[in-house]
Amino acid sequence: MKSSFLESLLWQVAAITITLLFVTPLLWVVTNSLRPVGLPPPRTLEWLPQPLAWSNYSTIFHLIPLGRQIGNSILVSTVGALLTLLTASWAGFAMVQLPKRWQGWLVGLAIILLMVPSAAVWLPRYVIFTLLGLIDTYTALFAPAFMGTKSLYVLMFYWTFRRVPQELFESARLEGASALLIWRRIALPMAHPTALAVLLLTFTHYWSDFVDPLLFIKSEERYTLAVGLRMLQQMAVTNWSLLLAAVMVMTAPVILVYLIMQYFIRNESPLTRLLRG
Amino acid sequence: MQQNEGLLDSVILRKKILAFWHNRHVSSYQLELGLLLTPFLLGTAVLLLLPMLLTIFLAFTSYNAFTPPQWNGLQNFITIFQRDVFWIAVRNSLVYVSFSAPLQLLGALLLALLLYHQRYGVREYRIAAFLPSVIPEVAYALIWLWIFNPLYGPLNKLLGWVGLPEQAWLVNTATALPSLIFMSCFRLGEGMFVLIAALQGIPPAYFQAAALDGGSRWQILRHIILPLLTPWLLLLLLRDILLSTQSSFAPVYMMTEGGPGYATMLLPYLIYDEAFSHFRLGHAASMLLVMFVVMGILLWLVYRLLGGWGYTDEI
Repeated sequence: MKSSFLESLLWQVAAITITLLFVTPLLWVVTNSLRPVGLPPPRTLEWLPQPLAWSNYSTIFHLIPLGRQIGNSILVSTVGALLTLLTASWAGFAMVQLPKRWQGWLVGLAIILLMVPSAAVWLPRYVIFTLLGLIDTYTALFAPAFMGTKSLYVLMFYWTFRRVPQELFESARLEGASALLIWRRIALPMAHPTALAVLLLTFTHYWSDFVDPLLFIKSEERYTLAVGLRMLQQMAVTNWSLLLAAVMVMTAPVILVYLIMQYFIRNESPLTRLLRG
Repeated sequence: MQQNEGLLDSVILRKKILAFWHNRHVSSYQLELGLLLTPFLLGTAVLLLLPMLLTIFLAFTSYNAFTPPQWNGLQNFITIFQRDVFWIAVRNSLVYVSFSAPLQLLGALLLALLLYHQRYGVREYRIAAFLPSVIPEVAYALIWLWIFNPLYGPLNKLLGWVGLPEQAWLVNTATALPSLIFMSCFRLGEGMFVLIAALQGIPPAYFQAAALDGGSRWQILRHIILPLLTPWLLLLLLRDILLSTQSSFAPVYMMTEGGPGYATMLLPYLIYDEAFSHFRLGHAASMLLVMFVVMGILLWLVYRLLGGWGYTDEI
């Protein structure tokens, strides 16, 4: 179907309008994070405040220990992402080589686990972590990485490894290679795009995680950025420019990672796309 | 001859030994595979399955996180059912989910229909429409708290600019819950991508045949696209309903704390409040259990009302 010029034009107008609806709030956040502190509320819609107060971004680092919190967030997210890469790819690698019937069971289990909302486990996990003495430790925050964070990541590796000819694993095994060696030398190098996607997705997952640090972290020096934002909100209730600056500090890396994924990971299984959340 | 037999024997023996060694090796290999699978299975047991069983157990106990839980049968349920705030939270949660889930789905469907063709710039438009979905939930809540702010927020300024009356949004009991529903509607990126993938999976021959028969766009949408998408739409709707239990917590916690009055008191926040502000973990667990029973009933109703999975062939 060849579409006429007028139709394309109409489509472009519609697409741009709707896109703006989704992007404008974020642009407002960017510009208003630069609004000088202490100004009275704006009378009209301010597209670009005058003068631009870049100092907002340094002020928030003095108001709350933002640097420390960013460090904590980076620590938890990095450990969480790396650990997930290990556990999820191990599980996926083991699954493809199990007998067919077991594979079916495990895939079924993983899909059912996908449907468990995290709200169902906040409270009992708190009880379990209290028993295990994990409350107020970073371990409580990246604990889900021990099970691959989400069963979806295990499934992603499973589907990736299933596309690899199984004879490759078989022949290496007959040569006497151990499972760990085959995983390291043959399987993982063939799953680079999946590994990168899982790393980025889990990093942003732990970076964005709010409820876990809220429930499991007690001492302020272990707060992550997400809880730090709450802290700042309570300290500077009406100082919107500062709050929005902090929002940008938290959001910008996630958006960056998302754009990187869009432009660099081109293995276009629809799955790589629907994985966040 | 004798010699040959001895040779044959030794060959057979060697083969046997090799096969034995080989088998043993395979089984040790499978042991290794089992070890690689252990973190996932063990983690799932400790972090997902055990918590779910624990919730069911705690729901029938009195527990404050400091002293061991005491069995008290159905007492928790009797207590929570007698509290007005619980029923308010149930009602609000049902209102929230029955608007936010279908609206998210509708938005995702409209966007997918607009953006599934290959056209100039379509990739960038899709990326832009996904942006609100990647923002961390605390940041997203703060952004909308600012947007809804009656004095500083851009939403009222925008209304004033167009000439519409300004609103108190989150401060007004009538508009608070609808505001939360409204902000949740922009987080539809995943649904959009699933539906785009589903739409791209429809064979073009279907459209060509329909166009040859003189079908209008509306007819094609109504009789070809929608029936083929039904399984996907249903799946996404069920998913959005379930996820609303976790995604509605941060906005309520950060923006309204259940207020004004109890206008935005939703079950996840009430459960959090019971468990972590009042340390009535037993009550919280029974509320959690009721919440998922209600969700289960809702999922079943939706599934029945939409007539099961619809067409499942050919996608």
